[in-house]
Amino acid sequence: MIALTMIARVVDGLPLAASIEEDEQSGRDLQQYQSQAKQLCRKLNTQSPDRCTLEAGDMDFHYLIAQGICYLCLCEASFPKKIAFAYLEDLHNEFYDQYGKKVNTAMRPYSFIEFDTYIQKTKKTYVDSRARRNLGSINTELHDVQRIMVANIEEVLQRGEALSVLDTKASNLSTLSKKYRSDAKYLNTRSAYAKVAAVAVFFITLIIYLRFWWL
Amino acid sequence: MSTAGFNSQNGTGTGQAYANGPSQNPVGLQQLPGVSYGMTHQPTYNPMQAKAPAPPGPGLYPTAAYQSGPPVSSYQSGPAHTSYPPPPGQPLLTRPAMGTPPSHTPPQSASPNHGPRMPLPRATPPPPAVSSSSYYSNPQQQPIAPSWQYNTAPAPMGPPPSLSAPPCGPLANHTNPSSSSTVPPPPTLTAYSSPQPAYGSHSATQPPGPRMPSTSHLGYTQPGAAPPPLNPMLSHTYQPSRPAYGPPPTGPPPLGPPPAGPSPAMTSTPPSTAPPLANVTPPPPKADGTLAGNGPQSPNNFNSIDNKMAGLPQPGLPGRHLGHYPSLPPGYQNAAAPHKPTSPMHPTMQAATQPYSQTTQPYQQPHGGPGPAQLSPSLAALSLQSSSPEALRVVNLLQERNLLPPGPIPAPTPCLPQDLQKINCNPEVFRCTLTSIPQTQSLLNKAKMPLGLLLHPFKDLSLPVVTSSTIVRCRSCRTYINPFVSFLDQRRWKCNLCYRVNDVPEEFMYNPVSRSYGEPHKRPEVQNATIEFIAPSEYMLRPPQPAVYLFLLDVSHNAVETGYLTVFCQSLLDNINALPGDSRTKVGFITFDSTIHFYNLQEGLSQPQMLIVSDIEDIFLPTPDSLLVNLNECKELVQDLLRSLPSLFEKTMETQSALGSALQAAFKLLSPTGGRMSVFQTQLPNLGVGALQSREDPNQRASAKDIQHLSPATDFYKKLALDCSGQQVAVDLFLLSSQYCDLASLGCISRYSAGSVYYYPSYHHQHNPAQVERFQKELKRYLTRKIGFEAVMRIRCTKGLSIHTFHGNFFVRSTDLLSLPNVNPDAGFAVQMSIEENLDDMQVVSFQAALLYTSSKGERRIRVHTLCLPVVNSLSDVFAGADVQAMAGLLACMAVDRSVTASLSDARDALTNAAIDSLSSYRQSVLTIQQPGLLAPACLRFFPLYVLALLKQKAYRTGTSTRLDERVFAMCQLKYQPLAYAMLMIHPALYRVDDLTDEGALNINERTIPQPRVLQLSVEKLSREGAFLMDTGMVLYLWIGRNCHPNFLTQVLGVPSYATVPENLYLLPELDTAESQRIRAFIGWLRDQRPFFPTLHVIRDESQLKASFMQNMIEDRTESALSYYEFLLHLQQQISK
Repeated sequence: MIALTMIARVVDGLPLAASIEEDEQSGRDLQQYQSQAKQLCRKLNTQSPDRCTLEAGDMDFHYLIAQGICYLCLCEASFPKKIAFAYLEDLHNEFYDQYGKKVNTAMRPYSFIEFDTYIQKTKKTYVDSRARRNLGSINTELHDVQRIMVANIEEVLQRGEALSVLDTKASNLSTLSKKYRSDAKYLNTRSAYAKVAAVAVFFITLIIYLRFWWL
Repeated sequence: MSTAGFNSQNGTGTGQAYANGPSQNPVGLQQLPGVSYGMTHQPTYNPMQAKAPAPPGPGLYPTAAYQSGPPVSSYQSGPAHTSYPPPPGQPLLTRPAMGTPPSHTPPQSASPNHGPRMPLPRATPPPPAVSSSSYYSNPQQQPIAPSWQYNTAPAPMGPPPSLSAPPCGPLANHTNPSSSSTVPPPPTLTAYSSPQPAYGSHSATQPPGPRMPSTSHLGYTQPGAAPPPLNPMLSHTYQPSRPAYGPPPTGPPPLGPPPAGPSPAMTSTPPSTAPPLANVTPPPPKADGTLAGNGPQSPNNFNSIDNKMAGLPQPGLPGRHLGHYPSLPPGYQNAAAPHKPTSPMHPTMQAATQPYSQTTQPYQQPHGGPGPAQLSPSLAALSLQSSSPEALRVVNLLQERNLLPPGPIPAPTPCLPQDLQKINCNPEVFRCTLTSIPQTQSLLNKAKMPLGLLLHPFKDLSLPVVTSSTIVRCRSCRTYINPFVSFLDQRRWKCNLCYRVNDVPEEFMYNPVSRSYGEPHKRPEVQNATIEFIAPSEYMLRPPQPAVYLFLLDVSHNAVETGYLTVFCQSLLDNINALPGDSRTKVGFITFDSTIHFYNLQEGLSQPQMLIVSDIEDIFLPTPDSLLVNLNECKELVQDLLRSLPSLFEKTMETQSALGSALQAAFKLLSPTGGRMSVFQTQLPNLGVGALQSREDPNQRASAKDIQHLSPATDFYKKLALDCSGQQVAVDLFLLSSQYCDLASLGCISRYSAGSVYYYPSYHHQHNPAQVERFQKELKRYLTRKIGFEAVMRIRCTKGLSIHTFHGNFFVRSTDLLSLPNVNPDAGFAVQMSIEENLDDMQVVSFQAALLYTSSKGERRIRVHTLCLPVVNSLSDVFAGADVQAMAGLLACMAVDRSVTASLSDARDALTNAAIDSLSSYRQSVLTIQQPGLLAPACLRFFPLYVLALLKQKAYRTGTSTRLDERVFAMCQLKYQPLAYAMLMIHPALYRVDDLTDEGALNINERTIPQPRVLQLSVEKLSREGAFLMDTGMVLYLWIGRNCHPNFLTQVLGVPSYATVPENLYLLPELDTAESQRIRAFIGWLRDQRPFFPTLHVIRDESQLKASFMQNMIEDRTESALSYYEFLLHLQQQISK
C-alpha cells in the first residue's frame, strides 16, 4: 500500500503537491508520518542521494530527487521497493511535464495540489496487484534498485540535530578558548606588573639604603 | 526570526511547530496537533447549549446578581400571576428573596395598586413580557455566577447608587448641551425624584415614593388601558381609524365611519390625573431652537392626522388628556429625522457599490498606523467631546412620534482619532454593541447594556492578499500584526493585545507595495484592518482538502409529492460548472427512504449504478470508492444521474425515512477528506437511529403559556455533528415540509457542524410557487457561493477583556477556538464579553478575529479582521457609544439560548428587562435633570422599539399561532444571520411604493433605483389609496389598498381594477411603464442586497397572508401584545419605580 505521497521542492522544502490518504485504518498514525515527511523534505538538499529508502518503523519512506524536485512516498515495509520507485518515476515524468517550468516560481505551499488527481489514479494502478503484473517492464528498467541506499528515518532527521549539537559545542569551545585566552592575558599582565613592582621596590629600598645608611 | 520554532524556515526539528490545519495557534499547542482532528469531546461546548434543565447559570442572560438588583423586578404583581405563578411560599416577595432587597418597591404595598393599573385591555391575556417576577423561578438557586457581565458583587451595586441618589450626582462631565439648556423641571418632577434612588439597600420604607409616581402614571396608562375601539386583529383592516397609540382614538375621517368604541371608553379616563403629567409637560429639552425652527415647515403625515382629529367633533373627550400627545409643539415631530449624518445614499448601498472602501484606496495613508502610544494626547482631547451631543441628546420616547429616519440606520462611528478610524474595520464585518468600551466591569454593570461583538467574518469582499513566508505575529499571544500595533522603532513593535514587545523580522522591513526597504509601518498588514494571508505550510496539518460535495436526498413518498427533486436536479444541472472548486472537486449522491441508496459513478460505467443498502441498523458503504467521484472526470455520469433521478422514484410508496442512518453513511463516506453534506429532508425521520416523534401539539401553537420542545429530543444529531466536525464535515439542512419536522432536534446536525439551515414550510411544487421560487434562488446561491473548508476561527481581544459566550453555528473546540468545518459568506457570529481586569491606563482596546480556511482552490488562507475601540471612564460616554442595532442583535442571540435553557417566558422577560435596565440606568446615572416621560439618549432611542419588535418576532412571540418549526427556524436565523439581515427580521422595513419618484434615487449600473422613505410599522401609516411594500428580510409583502389608484394597478400589476388582482401573485409583470420599472428596480435592489432570496407576495385585504403582514405591524397592539406606546408606558412605569 502506498499510504502517502508528497512532492516538494528540494531547495527550500516547499511542498508542491500531495495526496491525501483515504484509508481509514492507517488514519491514526498518518499524522505523525505527515510531519516526518515534511521535515524530511526540509532536511533534503542537493547533496542528498537522489534515491533513498528510509525505514520508519513498519513503514518505509522512499524518495526520489530529480530536477530539483523531491518525490516522496510512504509505503508499508512489505511493499516491493521497485514498484515504489517505478511509481515515483512515473510521477516525476508526469509532474515535470505538467509543472516543471513553474516549480521555481511557486510561492505558496501546495501550489500544484491539483496534481493530486493524477497521483490518486497512478497509485491505484501500482497498488492493484493485478495491474502490477502488466508492469513487467519495470523489472528491467530498475535492475539497479538493489543499490539504493537504505537508512533510518530517525538517523536522517537527527543528523541535522547532531550537527547542530556539534555546532553548539564547537561554538561553546571557541567562546571558552577565547575566555581562556583573555584570562591568560590578564594573568600575564598581572604577573608582569608584580615583577616590575618587586624590582622597583628592591631598587627604591637599595637607593634609600645607599643614601641614608651607606653614606 | 521573531517567532522561533513556528516561523523558522528550516524547522527546529520539533514536530509540534506545525500549527497544523485546525489549530491555527501554536500557542494552543497543549492540544497537540493530533487532537485537533481527533475530536475531543471535552465539555467545552457552549454552556448555553446544554440541555434544558440547566439552571440559568452563567448562560444566557442575567444571572443572579443582575436580577436581584435592578428595580425592574417590582412588576411581579397583578395579572402577571396568571401566567407565571411565583414560586410557592413566596407569592409576592420573589425579588426580595433574591439577595439585595429591592427596597424601592415594597411589593406588598405596590401590588394592590398595580393590578388595576395594568395598561392592559380587559380582554387581552396578560403580556408575559411584562412580568419580570418569574425571572428566577427558583430563587433558592441564586447562583452568583461570576461570568455574567452585569454581575457584580452585590455590594458595589447597592450602596453607591443610593449615595448618589440625587440623580445628577456622578455626572460631572455630562456635556449634553441641549439638556443643559433645559427648561426648568416641571412641577411634577417632585413626584419623580422621590422614587429615584431606586437601587440599593437603603431600607425598605419607601411606600410613598413609588406610589406617587404611579398615581401620576395612571394618567398615562389609562389611555392605553382604555379599551381600544376595535381589536386590531379582529378588525383585520388597516383602518387608519384605529388609534395608533391608544389615546387618540379618533378616526381620521377619510374612510368610513369612525369606530364606535373609543369615545365612551375615553370618557372614563380620569382627567384629573392626567393634566399634571400630560399637558403640563413642557416640550422636552431637545426642543431647542433648531428643532423648533424646522418643525413647522415639515408637514408630515402625523400633522395632518392631528388636524383632522382636532377638527372632529369629539364631545365627550377629555381633550387635554388625549391632547398631550398630538398637541406637542411641532418641534419634536421630526426631531428624529435629519440629525444623523446620513448620506442620501443607503450605506449598505455604498458598500455595495464600492464593496470595501479600504481596498479601493488601501495604501494612501499619509503615515501608516500611528500606534496608540503616539495617539494618547489626541485621544485625550477627544474624550472630552466624545459624548457627542447627538448621541446623547435626550429624547422623550413618549413624545417622539416619527422615530425612524428615512433611510437605514447607520452604525455608530467609534470615537477614535480620524486616522485610526479611517483604517478601522468595516462595521458590516465587525461590530461591537458598545463602541466605547467601559473601563471597568462595574461601569459596565452600571450601564446595564450587553457587551459583545457581532461578526460577519467571511463576507464576500475583495481584500488585499499578502503572500509571505513568515506571517508576523506576536510571540506570546499570537496576534497577527495589524494597523493598531505601535512601532517602538524600526525594529520593534508592541502588540496591541498583550503589550509584548516583538521584533520586526527582516523580511517585514521590505515593503512589496512600494518596493522600499525600512518602512515596516507601510506594509499592507499595517495599513488594512481586514486582510488575507496565504498561509505557509506550517498552517497545514495535511494537504489542503479538495472541495467535496455530497448530496443526501429524501426520496420517500412525501418527498416525491412535494416535487422538490425536480427543482433540485435542475438547479444542480444548471450550476454544475459553477460549483466552487478546482479539478479535484468531488461529488456524490445518496438517496434514502427506508433504505439507503448509493450511486456508483465510476468512470467508464455506461450509466450510474444504484446500490441499495437495506441494513440500516449497521450501515456500511457498499463499495470502497467511486461513490464520491471527481466531478470533472465523471460529469457525464453525474448529469445522467441528475436527469434520471426525479423519475426514478416517481412511483414510490415508501413513506418512512431513515435519515439517521443515511447521515451515518454519508459521514463514513466523507470522513477521510471532509467536505460538505447537503441534506434535503421533507418529513420527520421515523426509522432507525435518530428517529423522532412528533412533539408539537397544534392546539398549543397560540398559547400564551410557555412553549415546550424548543430543545432537541435526542442527542443523536448533536453527537453525529460533533463527529462530523472532527472530520471536517459540515452538514447543511434543507427542510421542505408541510408538517412538523422537529427542527429543534434536526437543526443540531447543522449547528454543531457549522452548517446552515434552510426551511421551506409547506413547500409544494404546485400549491406554493413562491416557495419554489425561493428554493430555486437560494439553492443557486447555495451551490455557487464561496466556500471555505476545514476552517477555524479565533477571536482575540485586548488583555483585560474576555470572551465568554459564542453564538452561531460551530463547535467550540478549545476555550476560544471555533471549529468550522465549512465556512460560508452568509454566516454571522456573535460573542459576549466581560471585562475581567480594569482597563485603566488604556486609551483603546482591540479585537481580532482570525479565520483560517482552505479555499475551494486548495489554498490555505487566513483572513484577519481587527477592530479598535476607545475606552471611556464615564457612564455618559458609554451610553453615547451604544450601538442599538448590535445590541438588539446580541440580545436576540442571548434570548435564543435563554429560551432553550430556561423557557421562552424567561427569555421574553430578559428582553424587556434589558430595555428597562439600560434606560433606568441612564435615567438615574446620566441624566442630570429629571423630567417626566421616558427619556433615552438619542443613540438608544430605537432600543424599546427593537425590544418590542423582538417580543413580537416569530421566535419569541406568544399568543399568536406559530408553528413550532417556524419558531425554531426563526431562532436559528436570529443566531446565524449577520446583523444586517437579522435586523430586517426583527424590525421589517415598510415603504410606500405607489408614488415612487426618482427623487433621491440611486443610480447603479445605469438603473435608477428609487429610495422611498422607511415608515413606522403601524397600520396608521397605511392608507387605502396606496400600495405598500414590507421587507421582512425573508419575505416581501406588497400590500394593495382597496382604493389604490387605478393607475398603479394597471401600470404595475397589469390589472384593470382592485377586484381583479389575482389571489396568489408572486411576480410583478414586466410592464414597460415607468412605474413598473421603478418598483421592480426597487424590489430587485432589495433582493440583491442579501444572499437569500426574499419571495414577493402581493396581498389584498382578503388574502390569507394579510394576517402575517399585519403581524409585522409591531407598533400596533395585537390581541396578545402591547402596542409600542403601551410598551413605552410600561417601561416608564418600571423605570420610575
